[in-house]
Amino acid sequence: MSEGAMASATRLTPDELHGWLAGMLGDKRVLAAVDEDGLRVFRSVERADQIALPTGKTRWSPKEFLFARTETLFAYSVAGNEVTLDGAPVESAEQVLVGVRPCDAAGFLRLDAIFLDGDADSLYASHRVRTTVVTVACDEAGPECFCTAVGGSPASDKGSDVHLTRVADGWLVRPVTAKGDRLTASLAGVGRAPSPEEHAEAETQSTRVAGHIRQSAIAREWAAILESRFHLPLWETLGRRCVGCGICTYVCPSCSCFDVTDTGSASCGERCRSWDSCTFAAFTRHASGHNPRATQAARYRQRVLHKFSYFPLGHDGESMCVGCGRCVQLCPVGLNVRETVQAVVAAAADGHDAGG
Amino acid sequence: MFQQSQAAATTPAVAETATWQPQIVALICNWCTYAGADSAGTARRSYPASVRAVRVPCTGRVDPLLIVKAFEQGADGVLVSGCHPGDCHYVQGNMVARRRFTVFRALMDFLGLDNRRLHFAWISASEGAKWSRAVDEVTTAVRAAGPLRDWGRTGARRSAVRLPAVPAAPRSAPSADDQRAVGGHLQRLAATLLTEGRVSVVIGYTPGSLPAQMVPAFVTRPEDAPALGWSDRCVNNLSVYLPGAVRQWGKVALVAKRCDVNGVVGLLQESQIARDDVVVIGVACPGVQDDGGLALKCHACGGDAPPHADWTVTPGGAEPGAHPSGASGAVAADPRDALVTYLESLPAEDRWAYWQDQFSSCLRCYACRAVCPLCYCAVCVAEKNRPQWIPVNIEGKANMTWNIARALHLSGRCGGCDECARDCPADVRLDLLNHRLSREIEQRFGYRSGADPAVAPPLATFRPDDPQEFIR
Amino acid sequence: MPSAFQPHLARIVSTRDETPDVRTLRLAFVEPDVARRFRWEPGQFAEFSVFGSGESVFTMANSPTRPEYLECTMRAVGKVSGAIRSLSVGQVLGVRGPYGNRFPVETWRGKDLVFVAGGIGMAALRSPLQFVLDNRADFGDVVLLNGARSVADLVYKDEMAAWQDGGVRVIRTVDPGGEATGWDGEVGLLPHVFERLALGPDGRIVIVCGPPIMLHFMFLALEKSGFTPEQVVTTMENKMKCGIGLCGRCTIGRVFVCRDGPVFTWAQVRAFPKDF
Repeated sequence: MSEGAMASATRLTPDELHGWLAGMLGDKRVLAAVDEDGLRVFRSVERADQIALPTGKTRWSPKEFLFARTETLFAYSVAGNEVTLDGAPVESAEQVLVGVRPCDAAGFLRLDAIFLDGDADSLYASHRVRTTVVTVACDEAGPECFCTAVGGSPASDKGSDVHLTRVADGWLVRPVTAKGDRLTASLAGVGRAPSPEEHAEAETQSTRVAGHIRQSAIAREWAAILESRFHLPLWETLGRRCVGCGICTYVCPSCSCFDVTDTGSASCGERCRSWDSCTFAAFTRHASGHNPRATQAARYRQRVLHKFSYFPLGHDGESMCVGCGRCVQLCPVGLNVRETVQAVVAAAADGHDAGG
Repeated sequence: MFQQSQAAATTPAVAETATWQPQIVALICNWCTYAGADSAGTARRSYPASVRAVRVPCTGRVDPLLIVKAFEQGADGVLVSGCHPGDCHYVQGNMVARRRFTVFRALMDFLGLDNRRLHFAWISASEGAKWSRAVDEVTTAVRAAGPLRDWGRTGARRSAVRLPAVPAAPRSAPSADDQRAVGGHLQRLAATLLTEGRVSVVIGYTPGSLPAQMVPAFVTRPEDAPALGWSDRCVNNLSVYLPGAVRQWGKVALVAKRCDVNGVVGLLQESQIARDDVVVIGVACPGVQDDGGLALKCHACGGDAPPHADWTVTPGGAEPGAHPSGASGAVAADPRDALVTYLESLPAEDRWAYWQDQFSSCLRCYACRAVCPLCYCAVCVAEKNRPQWIPVNIEGKANMTWNIARALHLSGRCGGCDECARDCPADVRLDLLNHRLSREIEQRFGYRSGADPAVAPPLATFRPDDPQEFIR
Repeated sequence: MPSAFQPHLARIVSTRDETPDVRTLRLAFVEPDVARRFRWEPGQFAEFSVFGSGESVFTMANSPTRPEYLECTMRAVGKVSGAIRSLSVGQVLGVRGPYGNRFPVETWRGKDLVFVAGGIGMAALRSPLQFVLDNRADFGDVVLLNGARSVADLVYKDEMAAWQDGGVRVIRTVDPGGEATGWDGEVGLLPHVFERLALGPDGRIVIVCGPPIMLHFMFLALEKSGFTPEQVVTTMENKMKCGIGLCGRCTIGRVFVCRDGPVFTWAQVRAFPKDF
């Protein structure tokens, strides 16, 4: 982190921070991590006391506010031989995601790379432009975390508009982008410049949390190695226990596959897109019954290679995986993508070596 | 208990009630009720026009999902009516249907659907008067219940219902020595079975990548047997792999806890595997840890050796055969009973709000299906698109339909391993839905899943004197 | 601005049943402006939809040299194709596209061409074939080898004579057992019939489309006959939903069939991971 960037940080007391966040509630949709009977998820909040900035991750990433579980593309109505289509109304209300983890913010950048590449996806673009991301540096790391293995860090501000760091008895608030500048404009005259000790504390914390993530790095050059090892029989061993649910893809900050289906009758309804998963057998199954990815192991390989090979090879080596570890933590059968990648890279090129 | 009643949300505004007419779908049997309705018309008996009759060949043809679809698509009430038991044109269709309706009704009642919306009747061809009376009564009841506005919703959990705390675990965790001993016996037994060629694969547990985690392992060579292990973190029900493993390898040895054996029995009952395909290695399991405590399913399980096992493994060794003693360990009350009873004690509208909340967060990742040994269908109803039984959209209505369909399809088959609930990323209490229906089936039909592979599943059969007090 | 997923509306002008389950639709865009602007190349595809049933991918079956209408030939196998089959003349479909790459027809100039089509695969080759017919002088010797399981399964039966008259040598074959009374074509699998024709690789391009198993044996036959993988062009089909390289299901390794294909040389296909 450069000195220049740090210089623009403001140190707020908890009350000042809360006042700033509460001030957004009037004219913006504020999305924050809330605990609902043990389930921590990002929700639209109405009251300032719902914004708690808890430590740890939400159960799933906040990607649904940019790429909804189900989104209407247009409505149709059919009368006799005539059809009328109505495009989905474009939402314009500004939304602020408060308390996003650096891994999840990195996930937004991956989604940007997918949806804003070439012919921009106008729906995604419309949500992206109205969204401001307030990240919080992590003050703890779970056993599943591995952001540092894929080029991230628990204190990273990549993908962030305003970055927050917790210090002993307050917060460092630092705008990262022009959007962030606008969001922090209301802080003029509030708080004070951080002390050198507070800067040092933030640095120490970042080093300490990163130190807890004891996962060896996934090297950029592995993308090509993995692609060349598509045919290893080892994949069958590694993916054998995959039961074919979609948890890993649905909780993932960067998974973005979808289905397009109609809901409604032959006379009126909507065409929608909904999350879909490469781990489902039906994902690639042709109407004829032929399935290009016939086995669950082949589907697991697809997810791993998309994250760690196909995407990086098209994006300057950057991993699509952001290392949040949710898929590792929530997989019903304990599959670990990071270990899978390491096993494939470690295997001899013709490797029959057994995996987990 | 709960601070706010949802009644306000479900009672229609007075002004709206004045113009609103209930939409009622009647699924009626071609041979009896349809003719009965006809005779009511011929006799110029008047009855409300709010009913839309859908003629079906037999009530046995009425998949409860048809009722669900009616509600999903805007019905305020549903009436199902057919021939009296004994009069079925297809001899027994209505008696098979009766069991299905019993379970469906129990499920909808547990979900908190206003019971004024769901009606069943036996009306014969000669009972025109009964038909017009039934339509009158059903219309009055649905009118009183008001428009059904909240069939599924998406978003934040709003209900104030909180389940009571679960009692402390009735026993402490097994000793590390005992767990190691079981692991050692499993390793030696697996190596022996593989060496002697009695099986081609042993499906057991091996340490995973997270602290203390145990994950499924497929061991095909005797020299890999030392990878196997055992601890109270062996949560997975490995019988989910059985049909596929049998197809791939032929003979399969399966490490199974007592609750997992219910899955094996279910697969045998439904002819998905043959008894000779599988060598069941039963582990006398004193309970597994879930979410930092003893799993709920384990409270009432004594940790006895599993029935139907070919081998029984205890800390003392591995012995051929099944050795359930019938009594061992500290058997406590099943906390799922208390939770189900608590939910049943709430007013229906609060229960409804609670389950709407539960389903609102469902991501439709289908983990509940993927980890279930009895969800073996090659093409699930969720993927059938002609017609589209389960809407693809990940939102309230579709989530309702999916979760109801899943619960129904597992009723009378679920072995209570609770894997679906353990794995649900949205913490939907699928265990309580399953448990409630298992209880209904035990009370009504005297059937317990997993007991006997030779017995027909309860919803594939009937008794002429099955209870039917809910049918008018 | 409507999203990329909002289709144009096109009315069914006429239909023709090719086989009991294969139908060709002739479509005209409802908006005259769309009709003027919608231009495609041989080999490109579009998402066709029935409102209430959904979308499905089909190749444009006619050549851009015949732009007065848009044609598509589809077999009723799934939800959407079944729904399209049930529409009648005058009803409206959704069409969005054109998507994908195209056959590199300009590189075929002056060369001899062999089109090899199995079953419904003929639908994907009709557009380039019509293009060649409409620019016949630009190309050398042109052969169409069209096969199906049985005589009843052959598509475009009514058009073959005109193609023959237009300067294409048409050879039709059916699988053994699939012949009917009066059948005057070949009997045998496409790779075998191809070998019997003894067409050498010099200055020749082979354009192949058909079911996976046919492609497999066809490529073996081509290899045996001395064709290089660069001389062989095919068009792939995979399940698609978005058509624009987003939804993720048509991928083979790094390749999106919808965006980078569907037309590939056999050299490219051979380099793909075996994920199709």
